[in-house]
Amino acid sequence: METASDVRAERISASGAIEREQTKPVAIRIWNFLISKKLAIWNLILLAVTSILGTVIQQNQPPEKYRQVYEDWAYNLMDRINLFDMYHSWWFLLLLCLFTLNLTCCTMDRLPRAIRTVRKPKLTLDDAMEKSLPQSERWQIKGDIPRRAEVCKAAIARLFAAPKVTEADGVVHLYAEKGVYSGFGAYATHAGIVIVFIGAIIGNVFGFKSYVNIPDGKEASHLDARGGEEHVNLPFSVRNNRFWVETYPSGQPKKYASDLSVIENSREVLRKTITVNDPLVYKGVWFYQSSYGQEGGATAQVAVSRQDGTPLGSLSLRPNEPVRIDGYGVVRGVNYEQDFQGNGPALQLVIEKPGRPASNLWILQGRSDLDHRRKDSLVFSFGGLTAKMYTGLQVAKDPGVNVVWLGCLLLTAGMMISFFVSHRRVWIRLSPGPHGKVEVAAAGSANRNRPALEKTFASILAEVRNDLTKTEKENPA
Amino acid sequence: MNTLNVQLFDLTTLLFGGASGTYIAAMYGKKETLARIGTWICVAAAVISTVALGVRWAESYQMGIGRIPVTNLYESLVFFAWSVNLFYLFVEWKYKNRTFGAFVIPIAFLTMLFAFTNESSIQPLVPALQSYWLHAHVITCFVGYAAFAVSAGVAVMYFLKARQEEAKTEKGVIGCFPSTKTLDDLVYKSIIWGFPFLTAGIITGAAWANYAWGTYWSWDPKETWSLIVWLVYAAFLHARITRGWHGKRAAILSIVGFLATIMCYLGVNLVLSGLHSYGS
Repeated sequence: METASDVRAERISASGAIEREQTKPVAIRIWNFLISKKLAIWNLILLAVTSILGTVIQQNQPPEKYRQVYEDWAYNLMDRINLFDMYHSWWFLLLLCLFTLNLTCCTMDRLPRAIRTVRKPKLTLDDAMEKSLPQSERWQIKGDIPRRAEVCKAAIARLFAAPKVTEADGVVHLYAEKGVYSGFGAYATHAGIVIVFIGAIIGNVFGFKSYVNIPDGKEASHLDARGGEEHVNLPFSVRNNRFWVETYPSGQPKKYASDLSVIENSREVLRKTITVNDPLVYKGVWFYQSSYGQEGGATAQVAVSRQDGTPLGSLSLRPNEPVRIDGYGVVRGVNYEQDFQGNGPALQLVIEKPGRPASNLWILQGRSDLDHRRKDSLVFSFGGLTAKMYTGLQVAKDPGVNVVWLGCLLLTAGMMISFFVSHRRVWIRLSPGPHGKVEVAAAGSANRNRPALEKTFASILAEVRNDLTKTEKENPA
Repeated sequence: MNTLNVQLFDLTTLLFGGASGTYIAAMYGKKETLARIGTWICVAAAVISTVALGVRWAESYQMGIGRIPVTNLYESLVFFAWSVNLFYLFVEWKYKNRTFGAFVIPIAFLTMLFAFTNESSIQPLVPALQSYWLHAHVITCFVGYAAFAVSAGVAVMYFLKARQEEAKTEKGVIGCFPSTKTLDDLVYKSIIWGFPFLTAGIITGAAWANYAWGTYWSWDPKETWSLIVWLVYAAFLHARITRGWHGKRAAILSIVGFLATIMCYLGVNLVLSGLHSYGS
C-alpha cells in the first residue's frame, strides 16, 4: 500500500518528468515502465480478463469434444493459441512473468526508501515540514527548554511511545512513532505472492500428480500419469484391502472408504482407512480417495456340499472360467439372470464329467434344496454374485506445497499490516520564543487512517499542555 | 409445511423487503424517523435470521446429519444475506448515516427472494464436503462477499454524488448523501475488510482442495473466478493510490469486482460446470 503522500509525491515528480521522459535513455524508460503502478493495474486487469476465457471454454478436453462444438477453422485457431489449456499457455505464463517482474522491480525500487525511513527517521521538525503536515499547532509557555522538554517527553511516552530527543543550537526536538513496520506490509504481500509462485514451480518440477486404480486385494506401485506425462514407479507399493461405500438411509452416499496398506520390502509398514477428506501419507506421497468402480466381471459364489449335507467349500466362478473339482469334473458358470422365471437371481452352470456329455442346469440363489433333488454326488447352491470393486486413488507428491503455504501466510499478514497498521509520527519542538518564553511546536502525521491520528494527536497535545501548565504553576521559572 | 427455520427465514425475507422499502421511502421523503425504523427492522431481521441459522443447525442434528448450515445453495444465500445485513448495520453505526441502507439492504432482500425459490430442505452432506475446512472456507468467503456487496452499493452512491458535485448542486435525494470523500473512503474501507477475508477464503479453499484432492489449485471455474475477483480488487487497491485512477475509475473497479463476485458465487454454479455444485 502506498499512501496519499506518495500519490502527491508521484504527481509532483511526474508533472516535472513528462517532458523529460522522451529524452531519457531506453533502459531507464523500461525500468520506469516495470516499476509503474499503472503496469500493475493493467496486468491485474489483463490477468482477470484472460482468466475468464478458460472458465467459459472447458479446459483439457479430448480434441473430439471440441470438434463437436467448434468449426474446423475456429478449432485450429483456438488450438494454435492454446485456448484449450490456456492457463499453461506461453502467453498466460508470459503475463504471469511480467506480473512477477513488476512486483520484483517495484520492491527493488521502493524497499530501500522504506528501510531508510525506518532506520533514519526524520527526528527534527523544521518549518517547511510543519506547514506541510496535516496536524500541527504552536503555542508559547514560560520556563526553560530542558525542563519543559522533560515534561513533554514523559507525557508522550505515557500516551504514545517513548520519544527520541535531539538537541541542536538550544532547540530541542522530540520524535515518537508507532506502527513503523506499516510500510512493509505491501512488500510482505508482494514477496508472499512471489513465494507462492516459487512453491508452485518447485511442485511442478520435483513433484508429480498421478492416478491409480487398485482392485480389492491387489497392490500397486506403478502409477499412470495423467495427461500423457511420465509414469511413476513408487519405491513401495500400496495394497487396497477393501473399498466400500456407506449410504444414508435415503440412499445418498455418506462415505467412500478404502482400507489401504503400504507395503515396503514385502512388509506392511502402514495401514489406514482413507476417506474423501482423509488421505494417507507415506514418504511425502499422498493418496486420496478419488473414485471407485467395478473391476472386470462379477464372480458367482457357489457353495458345494455332499448329498448328506456335509459342506465341502465354496467356488468363486468367473464368467465361463472352468473350475476343476477333483474326483468330480469341471464346473463353469455360463449365465446369470437377475430374475429367473420370476424366482429371483439364478446362475446357469455347465458340468462336465469325464466320459459323459456336459450337463446344463440353473441354480437359484438361496434354494439349495432344489439342486438336492438332482441326486448328484455334489450339491451346488448359489450364494449370489459379488462384484469386485476397485478404488481410484489420486496420488500426489508436492515438495513445494509448504513453500506455497508460507507464501500465503506472508501475503495475508502483509495485507493486514498494510491495511490496518498505520505509521503514526509525532514531533514536538521546543525553541526559544519571544520575551524569554519557550515556543512549542507540535505536529503529527500518519500514512493511513488520518481520523485516528487526529484523535491520538489531540489527546497527546491535551496531555502535554496540561502537564506543562501544571509544572508552570508548581515551579515557575 | 416448512420447518421452523424456513419459516423464520421467510419472515426475515419480509423484514428485508420492509426495510428496503422504508429506507428508500426515507431517502425520497427525507424522513429521518422512517430511516430509523428501517434500522430497527434490520436489527430485527438480524436477530431472527441468526436464530433461524441456529435452529437450522440444531434441526440438522435432530435429523442425525448434524452439520453447519452453509452447505447448499439455499443455505449459502441465506448466510450471504445475513452477512450483508450485519456488515451493513456495522457500517451504519460507524458512519452514523442511514442513506446507505437504500443501496445495500435491497441486495440482502433480493438474495433472500432468490433463496425463497430454491429447495430449502436439510440434506445430508456428500462425502466431499465432510471436512472442518468447510467452516473456515465458507465463512471467510461470505464475509468477504458481504463486504464487497456493501462496497458496491456505496460505489453506486459515489457515482451519483460525484455527478452532482461536478454540476455543483446539492439538490434532491443525492444532496443528502455523504460527500464523495466519505463515500470513497467507505468504498475503500469495505474492500480492505473484504479483501483479506476473500484471500483467506481462497487460501482455506486451496488448503482444503489440497487435503481432499491432492492439488491446491486446479483452475476449476470456481477457483478461477475467485482469483478474478481477487485480481479486480487488487487492481482497485492499486488504482486508488495511482494518479489518474482514483475516484471514478476506482469506483468502477469496485462495482466490476462485485459483479465478478456474483459470477463467482452464483454464475459459476448456474452457468458453468465444476467441482462446486453445492451438492446438487
